[in-house]
Amino acid sequence: MTAAPTPALPPVEVFESGDAALRVVASSADREANWATVHALAEWLDAAGADGVHGAVPTYDSLLVEFDPGVTSARQVRAFVLLGLRQLEFTGAPARAPREFNVPVVYGGEYGPDLERVAEQQQLSVEEIITLHTAKSYVIRCLGAPAGSPMMDGPDFPLPVPRLKDPRLSVPAGAVSVAGRQAVIAPAVAPGGWCVIGQTPLTVLDAAAEPLVPYVPGDRLRFHQIQLEEFAAFAGRKLEAAR
Amino acid sequence: MSLIIQQPGHSVVTDLGRFRGPRFGLPVNGALDQFSARAANILAGNGDNAPLLEITALDFRMRATTDILIAVTGAPLHLTVGGRQCQQWEPVSVRAGETVALRRLDGGLRAYIAVHGSVHAPVLLGSCAPDTVVGFGLRLTEGTELKTFSTVPPIRQPYFDLPLFRLGLTRPEFHSTAVVEVTDGPDVEEFGDTADLLYSTEYTVSGRSNHIGLRLGGALPERQSTAEVLSRGVPVGAIEVPSREELLVLHRGRGVTAGYPVLAVVTSRSLDVLAQARPGHKITFRKTTVPEATAKHRAALRELETLRSTVGTVFSLLGVGGPPDPPRLAPAAGS
Repeated sequence: MTAAPTPALPPVEVFESGDAALRVVASSADREANWATVHALAEWLDAAGADGVHGAVPTYDSLLVEFDPGVTSARQVRAFVLLGLRQLEFTGAPARAPREFNVPVVYGGEYGPDLERVAEQQQLSVEEIITLHTAKSYVIRCLGAPAGSPMMDGPDFPLPVPRLKDPRLSVPAGAVSVAGRQAVIAPAVAPGGWCVIGQTPLTVLDAAAEPLVPYVPGDRLRFHQIQLEEFAAFAGRKLEAAR
Repeated sequence: MSLIIQQPGHSVVTDLGRFRGPRFGLPVNGALDQFSARAANILAGNGDNAPLLEITALDFRMRATTDILIAVTGAPLHLTVGGRQCQQWEPVSVRAGETVALRRLDGGLRAYIAVHGSVHAPVLLGSCAPDTVVGFGLRLTEGTELKTFSTVPPIRQPYFDLPLFRLGLTRPEFHSTAVVEVTDGPDVEEFGDTADLLYSTEYTVSGRSNHIGLRLGGALPERQSTAEVLSRGVPVGAIEVPSREELLVLHRGRGVTAGYPVLAVVTSRSLDVLAQARPGHKITFRKTTVPEATAKHRAALRELETLRSTVGTVFSLLGVGGPPDPPRLAPAAGS
């Protein structure tokens, strides 16, 4: 009997991050492998559980593991993390079927105050920006601030999008924005420095549900354009997986 | 059985925090001065994590509809119950109809009121801590009626109104100049030699500080590299230099992820000191190590355990409360 070869994990480093957290970083040239590793490790740590370990926050190539220094210590949590990595070396990252979400967006105007600015900066037309933004299926890389925002690798614009010089004090829930080479939807009202190019009428955050947002990292999301008149028809509906 | 809020000032019902929040993108939040919050609950005969009131900066008044037992901790202030001056950091009896008033919170910034048996508050992901971003939590307004769960007949020294309790707790002191201990952050090397400025500068707390983070003015370390930083989880206590104007020290309301390098991280113990820093107060930083910081945190917890056992003894002698709450040092893993 021959065992299926397990893909090698990228090299992983663990850094002190105060007396109540560790930062775990996967540092290979393969960004996809780094991402898969920190998310698989976060799942393992959550499933295994350890006294005093509050939880893990995975992003792109890193993972913040938070713990209660009254119950456990940085040294013990480091050993727990290394144990998780050993396990993953044997089992590989667990396979999970990603779900897909379709997000209607009204672009430009009052709902997308930065659309024209982004078009100008990219030296493209507004229509070309919308076409590029709706062209691809995005992988949700991680949940970010505020309130479980779906952080995605951005549309295939020619240039990175600069952040606003003066961040807005309040960006509405449902705002669809881009910055650098990233894209996001705001689940809740919050200040923001990203360029808002549109808004979805769907409700993303449900504070009465657990989890609060319907997607998890690894799920996929696709935007499609709707017209201003259609906004009201979608308003109040929840964001739900299409499959 | 309830408390009627007469003058809310700036007050909320909170607990030690939403420890399951960060994995869903929600900050931990909860009482900013954790030691004072735990102590208040212990002095009121509650579990450490019981919902309690956090009063920030402004005067506060409430009236009890039944006889209750409370404890007030945190920033030094002028505490009266039914017009009588009372001590902080001690159990205090309040009779039905009496008003509890907290005035002149000027030594620090935050005070805590725990009520024996606790108060009712809605819960999200295992915690009642308010979250301003998702709009969750109980912010108190004039007329808010807070449901309480137990009645405690007045405990009063029959003679001379002498203090009843000598519980031997070292009360934390808050000064307008505070020393805050930090450990090196994971990105300290990105700041090169300028990182040392953190330890040689006296910083001033800006008025733009809040539960999300404190902004400090003073000489700023500068990042030497300009490489793009991918968003990543940042711990409570992370010190960042997001602008050329101020240092940012993240507290319990911080967004869970950010893209700024972490210069240093404030220790759990010193986060309580920062919770009491008022705008205009001066802060200096002292470098420590993770094992040393952990030892100090645990020493404080041991002190609280001693207090819990003393309070337990006194309460059982006085016949206060039913069976004591199970000792709860910290929320259980995964809670």
